[in-house]
Amino acid sequence: MSTIFERVFRGNDAVYGLTQNAIDAAIAQYGADQPVSFPNTAYCLPCYYAVSGVKVKTLGELKAAMDVVKTLMGRTEELNSVLFSGVATALCAEFIEVLKYLNGANPYEEPCYGHLADAIIRELGVPLVTGDIPGVAVIVGSAPTKEDAAALIKSYQAQGILVTLVGGCIDQALEAGMTLGYGVRVVPLGRDVTSVIHVVSVALRAALIFGNVTPGDAGALIAYTKERVPAFVNAFKPVDDVVLTAGAGAICLGFPVISNEDEDIVPIPGALIGEPDVANFNKVSLEARNIKIKITKIDIPLAFASAFEGEIIRKKDMQVEFDGSRKDCFELVKTKEMSEVEDHKIELIGPDFDEMEEGSKQNIAYIVEVAGKNMQSDFEPVFERKFHSYLNCIEGVMHTGQRDMIRVRVSKNAFAEGFRAKHIGEVLYAKTKSEFEAVVDKCQVTIVTDPEMVAKLRHEVAIPAFDARDDRLNNLTDESVPVYYSCIMCQAFSPSHVCVVTPERLGLCGAVSWLDAKATNELDPSGPCQVITKERVIDEEVGAYEDVDEAVKKFSQGALEHVTLYSIMKDPMTSCGCFECICGIEPFSNGVVIANREYAGQTPLGMTFPELASMTGGGVQTPGFMGHGKHFIASKKFMKAEGGIERIVWMPKDLKDTVAERLNATAKELYGIENFTDMVADETITTDPEELVAFLTEKGHPALGLEPMLA
Amino acid sequence: MPFNAKSMKFNANINTVEIGTGDKAIKIGGENTFPFYTFDAPTVNAPKVGIEISDMGLANEPDCIKAVYAGCESVVDMAKKAVTFEGVDFLALKLEGGDPNGENKPTEELVELAKAVAEAVDAPLVIEGCKNVEKDAELLSKCAEALQGKNVLLMSSKEENYKSIGASAGLAYNQKVGAESSVDINLAKQLNVLLSQLGVNSQAVVMNVGSAAAGYGFEYVISTMDRIKAAALQQGDNTLQMPIITPVAGDAWGVKEASASEADVPEWGCVESRAIDMEVATAAAVLASASDAVILKHPVSVATISKMIKELA
Amino acid sequence: MAKLTGIDIFKLTPKKNCKECGCPTCMAFGMKVAQGALEISKCPHMAPEAIAKLSEASAPPMKTIKAGVGETEITLGGETVLYRHEKTFVNKTRYGVNVCSCMDDAVVEEVFAGIPKVDYERIGERMFAEVINVAYCEGTDAAKYVAMVERAAGMSRTLVLDVKDVEVAKAALAVCKAQKPILNGANAANYEAMNALATAEGVVLGVSAANIDELYDVTAKLEALGNKNLVLDATGASIKETYAIAVQMRRAAIKNSDRTFGYPSIVNLAKLAKGDLHLQTALASVFTLKYGSIVVMEKIDYSQALPLYGLRQNVFTDPQKPMKVAPGIYSINGGDENSVCLTTVDFALTYFVVSGELERSGVPCNLLISDAGGLSVLTAWAAGKLSSSSIAKYFAEFEIENKIKNRTLVIPGKVAVLKGDIEAKLPGWNIVVGPNEAVQLVKFLKDMNA
Repeated sequence: MSTIFERVFRGNDAVYGLTQNAIDAAIAQYGADQPVSFPNTAYCLPCYYAVSGVKVKTLGELKAAMDVVKTLMGRTEELNSVLFSGVATALCAEFIEVLKYLNGANPYEEPCYGHLADAIIRELGVPLVTGDIPGVAVIVGSAPTKEDAAALIKSYQAQGILVTLVGGCIDQALEAGMTLGYGVRVVPLGRDVTSVIHVVSVALRAALIFGNVTPGDAGALIAYTKERVPAFVNAFKPVDDVVLTAGAGAICLGFPVISNEDEDIVPIPGALIGEPDVANFNKVSLEARNIKIKITKIDIPLAFASAFEGEIIRKKDMQVEFDGSRKDCFELVKTKEMSEVEDHKIELIGPDFDEMEEGSKQNIAYIVEVAGKNMQSDFEPVFERKFHSYLNCIEGVMHTGQRDMIRVRVSKNAFAEGFRAKHIGEVLYAKTKSEFEAVVDKCQVTIVTDPEMVAKLRHEVAIPAFDARDDRLNNLTDESVPVYYSCIMCQAFSPSHVCVVTPERLGLCGAVSWLDAKATNELDPSGPCQVITKERVIDEEVGAYEDVDEAVKKFSQGALEHVTLYSIMKDPMTSCGCFECICGIEPFSNGVVIANREYAGQTPLGMTFPELASMTGGGVQTPGFMGHGKHFIASKKFMKAEGGIERIVWMPKDLKDTVAERLNATAKELYGIENFTDMVADETITTDPEELVAFLTEKGHPALGLEPMLA
Repeated sequence: MPFNAKSMKFNANINTVEIGTGDKAIKIGGENTFPFYTFDAPTVNAPKVGIEISDMGLANEPDCIKAVYAGCESVVDMAKKAVTFEGVDFLALKLEGGDPNGENKPTEELVELAKAVAEAVDAPLVIEGCKNVEKDAELLSKCAEALQGKNVLLMSSKEENYKSIGASAGLAYNQKVGAESSVDINLAKQLNVLLSQLGVNSQAVVMNVGSAAAGYGFEYVISTMDRIKAAALQQGDNTLQMPIITPVAGDAWGVKEASASEADVPEWGCVESRAIDMEVATAAAVLASASDAVILKHPVSVATISKMIKELA
Repeated sequence: MAKLTGIDIFKLTPKKNCKECGCPTCMAFGMKVAQGALEISKCPHMAPEAIAKLSEASAPPMKTIKAGVGETEITLGGETVLYRHEKTFVNKTRYGVNVCSCMDDAVVEEVFAGIPKVDYERIGERMFAEVINVAYCEGTDAAKYVAMVERAAGMSRTLVLDVKDVEVAKAALAVCKAQKPILNGANAANYEAMNALATAEGVVLGVSAANIDELYDVTAKLEALGNKNLVLDATGASIKETYAIAVQMRRAAIKNSDRTFGYPSIVNLAKLAKGDLHLQTALASVFTLKYGSIVVMEKIDYSQALPLYGLRQNVFTDPQKPMKVAPGIYSINGGDENSVCLTTVDFALTYFVVSGELERSGVPCNLLISDAGGLSVLTAWAAGKLSSSSIAKYFAEFEIENKIKNRTLVIPGKVAVLKGDIEAKLPGWNIVVGPNEAVQLVKFLKDMNA
């Protein structure tokens, strides 16, 4: 048994020798000045040109190029030697192929294509860039049977993948009665293994045309093919030394090789993959190359559109209901390892809808398990919150609530049209996969209707998961995370406004939490939420960072220079127009007054919410005044620089009631004050500043004893 | 006591983008001041004015436009005539007939037309799509291929279809790409970033940041353009330094002020005059808000705006 | 000096909350002054030194000048920013019609007759030619000029007397000073005499000059004479020069705090683009954006007015306060009680776009506009201002069921989620979810009718 090094080097040497002989023979016959070229390309010998930057035009130059090729053929037992030997083999293959075209010959006949023209690459390039052609399969050799070959080719065809064929699989496909050709996206290149170079030539010319790669810049070339050309190789056994060395060339360009060969092969993770069962080639290849097939259709018997989002299903029209308030029910997203998820598996455990009594209340749980290289468990609630909208968009299905308090109704009409439990899975699968494409590589859905099982899962899996999530949220502090996020969703209205979203200070609209911003950033990297680092501290107490200042300046187009995270007096964060609340300094009590949007009355500041809003909004810094979300009121970071929440002296009663529990908890934790909100005035007590001071004095409000805010 | 003028010439420039070939090629952009601020620095390339015709010929056009093109038997005839009007710097061919919700003309037919128009005139050519993102992806990509070597600007590459149009026009066939967003600086920026991530050279991109007719939410248009220019020049933000082209005709001619007949509103007077005034008022405003090119419909509008640019630049 | 914040001003108040300034608290007063909404002198208890110190610092970079009287009084200038997205443009450009003593009588007649013809309302604002620029051409009949001024004075418009001859100006003022016209008369040669006249008669003085330096110089001299009730005529020898003056004046005032140029401007397009009405429209549009306070044209008929007034209404809105249309039933294409109903929000832009598309469809229908706080559909929905209850409330208030027999209501596609709730609140109505975007309405209505 030989090592992989020995085999590759041996194969490379063999090909190199063959090429040299062939060139010598051609020179002997035609002379060194005989032109060499492929038809319909401006790139001479495209692979050699792309790698070296040199245009070869004659047999003499071709011979000289062999010396350059030789320099690639390192013989040390290192991975690079293997990979570059593979490239050397590929270049030799191109030389052998170009010799076939010598003297105007037309070496390829139907159905084989051989060299592909530049025009085809320009045409193919667009759908490759857009993902309309999600991948390029290069199938080399003969499958175990012609049926295997045809099945594999068809599986790729069905996914829109471009298939190129080299060697025995061409005749197998023909024998199986398949139509081949560029039009049906199955391109037989040639029967010799060297004809594989014609697809490599496509990839490299794509890099030159679409990637603006400079010919000769091998690094950029390889980076381009690796990142942008979603090709992969399926090599059937036997994989001899020559095929193996060509495979090394493919791997060098970033194209994984999947083979059923099991002799003399050492798998390289992600690059050289052994898969004994040819039927699994498709799945293994797509996963290895990270190719995602777009879902264009949801497989359900009903219409799916946002127009049905507001549809209400009344009791009399209801076939079956799942009611989380009466029966165990829940919906859950779980992150799993790639190996634990089988993409598009939809499983039902328990009775289907047709086994349920009409009009009855039943149990249901649907667990959506996702896996992906960029998936993070923090995204789970973001996905889960979308389920409401997904299920409501199904005609005849109504969904309310979340987590284990959901209610789902299925209408009689929907049932009559054939809507069953698995279709819920189809919808969740298709939407999760397509909307969160950036992070979800695989997704499976399990629907459980068996009452005992749902109850068990609810208590053993779902509730602990929800609790863990809540704990994570509660334990997330500004100090515990490495970065913050910007949010500029409101800039259409407030041109210079930038929200800096931190775990303890959500966007002032109240709608964007740090986790939301993080998810938005991952899902839409050039979108409205960008990462803000917090490495260069200016003053931790007020929350001033050089990084934050730079980000704010950049995202406000220079309108803002400095922002603090925790002060309302010194460079406070700006406010757009969507804030839920505004707090403003109340000089007589030495504290702040908070008014929320719903509150229409007067405040002790002598200004109503709309008046405050007109002074504070528009992305302008207004020291002493700041817009914020309701949630922020109970935060330990709320105007921390000025002493924190003990500065709060007044807020509307409704708002006070809403935040009381959390605010009191914070006050207790920070200052040991019980029932802090009892000390905070509201409109039922007074809106007059003097009476406010009197009230605060009576209650012994801590703000009165703090340092004056107006120095 | 003389006035102590403080210049506001910027170190940053708007990119210069060339459209068309030969003597008639035009350069748009290039400026390092706010629009027409010749007292800060001399004009680099004066804004350009295009005239718009449609693949639908005169079918949907008002009477006054029918009169303008009287005697033209085909769209190609119209194109030939359009480029002869005073002040026309380029021709804009709008392929509105491609809209699947409208005429739904096949792509091949429209591409043939575009080719025929490109052959018939030597003025630089701008191709506008049909506003349907899926159809435009195909239509404009095919136009990019068919018009190789003409250095045309293909408008209407939007967030939904920029990959197709960007890849074909910007990468495969070396044309210019029009990045269309809807009246929001951040959306405009995002699209430019996406196009450059795709590999499209930012020097080959012209923005259409969205427009409206004067009086119809036009404040958003002004503010978006003002802010983009400020970011590009003052902040030197190179993801916004693409020149701006604004198709004015579609919005201006669509509002009732420009289309209501004299019979319906006799007190408003001549409809042709109203349409021209709506068109020139809108065009003048987008130019004053830093558009580098405008697309108009009526030859009188073109002549008026062209004259205004000559006076100001 | 840096702009004063509300807190800076509050610190200088007596902090007594005496309410004598009209504000409930001293803090509210401070904030209003900082915004430029109140003058510092409104506080009766502030120390004179504090007022002096603050007046200077809080004085707006550009003066606010008033001319005309009563209903037709106009307010010019007072801007604090160069771009509307920075804050708000406060005082809109005023459009004027030019009439000159050198014109033939017939022409004069035509101009005067044309002025009242354009007078209409758009989103709650009266649109008409607000200014008459009465120009005196040297060497023409002064009596004829005075007669023209007298006639103009009777038209309920604000007058600008474009006259450099002090005697003629005096005569003209004699017949119109009650109207508080602007005397656009001062130049390098006559500014002392004109200043005396304007001051004596209590009218705004207009300043013109041969170039920007001279304009600056004459303005400075007038200020030295104590007159700060000025407007500056930016009209130069060419369009290019005029644009340069208008822009540089405003930029100097706002950006460089050069208060000498902190006055409203006049741009006379009748001089710059004589005879070319379309060019005047184009230039009026440019000067509406670029700092013309009064823009004079040869005439304003509907052709000019419709785009320019629409533009002006857009430009001079508060960027944070969207324009609203009045709630009500808007009949489109002759829609009557049997026609289908569609509903959307009262945000002016939404209304215009939707009603435009509906008109384009040619289908008779009723557009029902409810009060959604002037927000767009999704924003209004998110803010709870567009909901099944808000629609039901509107239906009750406007007695829709009595007024309209048709029972189909199309709701915006973006709030499809409201369908069920609306059905519940409006029994008997067929609630149909419309398209997401207005442009799809034409096809939608066509398909619906098919």
